[in-house]
Amino acid sequence: MDTWIELARGPLFRIALAALLIGLAYRLGSAASQVILAWRRAGDRQLPLRSVVTATLSWLLPVRLLRQRPLYGIASLLFHVSIIALPLFLAGHVVLVQPSLPFAWPRLPGGVADTLSVVAFLALGAVLVGRLAVRTARVLTRFQDVAVLALLLFLVGFGFLAAHPALSPFPARTMLLLHILAGDLALALTPVTKIAHCIVYPFTQLIFELAWHFPADSGRHVVTALGKEGEPV
Amino acid sequence: MAIECSYYLEPVDTTDLPRRFLEAFAAILTHSNYAMALDAASRVSARCGRCASTCPVYQASNDPRDIPCLRSELVLNVYRRYFTPGGALSTRLGSGFEIDEAYINTMAEELYRCTACRRCKLECPMGIDHGLITHLGRWLLAEVGIVPKALRVATREQLEGKTNNTSAIPAAALIDTCEFLEEDCVDLHGFKIHFPIDQEDAEYIFFPAVSDYLLEPDTLMGNAAVMTATNASWTIGTRYFDGINYGLFYSDRMLDRIVNMEVEELKRLKARTVLIGECGHASRSAKAFIRTFCGGNQAPEVINCMEYALRMVNEGRLELRKGAIDARVTYHDPCNIARTGWIIEQPREILRHIATDFVDMTPHGRENYCCGGGGGTVSIDEIRSFRTGVGGRTKAEQIRRTGATILVSPCANCKKQLREVCEDNDLEHVQVVGLHDLILKAIVPPAEMRVEKQPDPESEPAGS
Repeated sequence: MDTWIELARGPLFRIALAALLIGLAYRLGSAASQVILAWRRAGDRQLPLRSVVTATLSWLLPVRLLRQRPLYGIASLLFHVSIIALPLFLAGHVVLVQPSLPFAWPRLPGGVADTLSVVAFLALGAVLVGRLAVRTARVLTRFQDVAVLALLLFLVGFGFLAAHPALSPFPARTMLLLHILAGDLALALTPVTKIAHCIVYPFTQLIFELAWHFPADSGRHVVTALGKEGEPV
Repeated sequence: MAIECSYYLEPVDTTDLPRRFLEAFAAILTHSNYAMALDAASRVSARCGRCASTCPVYQASNDPRDIPCLRSELVLNVYRRYFTPGGALSTRLGSGFEIDEAYINTMAEELYRCTACRRCKLECPMGIDHGLITHLGRWLLAEVGIVPKALRVATREQLEGKTNNTSAIPAAALIDTCEFLEEDCVDLHGFKIHFPIDQEDAEYIFFPAVSDYLLEPDTLMGNAAVMTATNASWTIGTRYFDGINYGLFYSDRMLDRIVNMEVEELKRLKARTVLIGECGHASRSAKAFIRTFCGGNQAPEVINCMEYALRMVNEGRLELRKGAIDARVTYHDPCNIARTGWIIEQPREILRHIATDFVDMTPHGRENYCCGGGGGTVSIDEIRSFRTGVGGRTKAEQIRRTGATILVSPCANCKKQLREVCEDNDLEHVQVVGLHDLILKAIVPPAEMRVEKQPDPESEPAGS
């Protein structure tokens, strides 16, 4: 078992981390270069940046959601805070990287980490149930929508049980192995699934605003490309 | 196989249709900024369904086809399959789909069930603009000849016909109409108005929805009354006088050509500012796309007539009688001028002054509900039952809840749609008017506009 655990948190973790960093860098570079190109091509380069920033921030701190659907908004906020804070600041994670850091990485107190884990687990479960129970969401659901939620549920659940052997019906080392494997998989899949919004999101409001700023000569070029010169309406 | 939709089409050449569709898609992606948006939508779409909860069409139809996110998938599926490495790979693995005529037929039907109101944009946590993707999808269809006949015929007349406007009004008839309205205003309201025709060097050149000349005399008299009362330097050009721009609804190419016709007329008459009448899409087309297609920062300024009217009120150059309208009044925000927050408070400031009982709908402003005839669908008469029974049902309930008997809708398209919505939803008692219709009743004309009524000899007492 220990060999498997070492494999999962050693070479596999490094591969997953590399996939995550390379993938996110590609997404970031791709989004940024598209934005710059689109802006340079736009016939009207004057953008309503204030409303773009406001819209971006209003969903980053879901003011609108909290106002309109407070329960859902709070659940969503807590889930996102948990899922970002747990991997970065959980004491069990920090001890793994602390030796190679020149400064003290902050750690969550045990009680807070446990609470966040439970909150994340419950919120993920609620989102999964909601997705499958509400007709509109069910109609829209793809394989990845369920798979990503299930993966994160397992990730959080296995991690919690690994940290609390007394509460676990399964061996703690097995839970730890499954937790690490689920974590590796989540890292590697982030750039190629909708979790990529963690890096692309800051650009989306800008992208959709900028996309309305057409190149001044787009229509004429399309006519030429399609050989439609002189063709009547 | 023929293309069959719930709206009329001119005959469509279905030879190699999928191939021609993909060629058009490739050309548009190459020469536009749409690929960036399609990439982002493909990458971040959460498929949460919040867009459905805010779409008035889906709320009324409960038909999954009307979920904005699913509608966008019609375009995104093709994009991913044919224009991304992942799509090519999945096809090689045998899991990709192939576009065919049936798929294009589905797009033709479903992309025109959307009213392009862009309300769903406000509710998407990821900021995906399904209105933009629908807009692109319609352009793709247009490039293979699939456009509602009503839109295409009108645009053809506007761009290539003898009259250069969507209602086929000859310039001579325009002049007659303006003269008639000038006389009518004296008879009905007791003051003079003037429509300057082909005046050079004016500050403003006026482009209302051209259908106003046929259908909305009070709106136009109101426009002219404001301009006359404020001693404005303005004109109407006889070579081009139509603010309507169906290009916004189906083709960027047409959008480009139409706004260029407005600017050409402005240049011909040496005017400086484009003044758009009461029409939501005409205002947005000009405001957003004259800059795009006609010179960026060098393009002429564009303002809407309601902005002008409020500015004149605030400068003390236009006097309106407080409380002149004593019926309950409500206001419909045309999506094309309200969604971005451009024109929301201006008409309300005027209405709160001239109406004794103004009530707003809930929600309104930036979050308003579409009239149900947006995106050009109002011009498609053959889908009236869908427009008023599905697309406009939420709006009908909003109007009913206000208890208003006057519904102000400063948009030619919204007015037509809302009159039909009221007829078809037991709201016949509601009068649908433009803002300038009410301004016409509330205006306090300066002395030089007033006409003393001549005594009618026939009504004088006998023997006097």
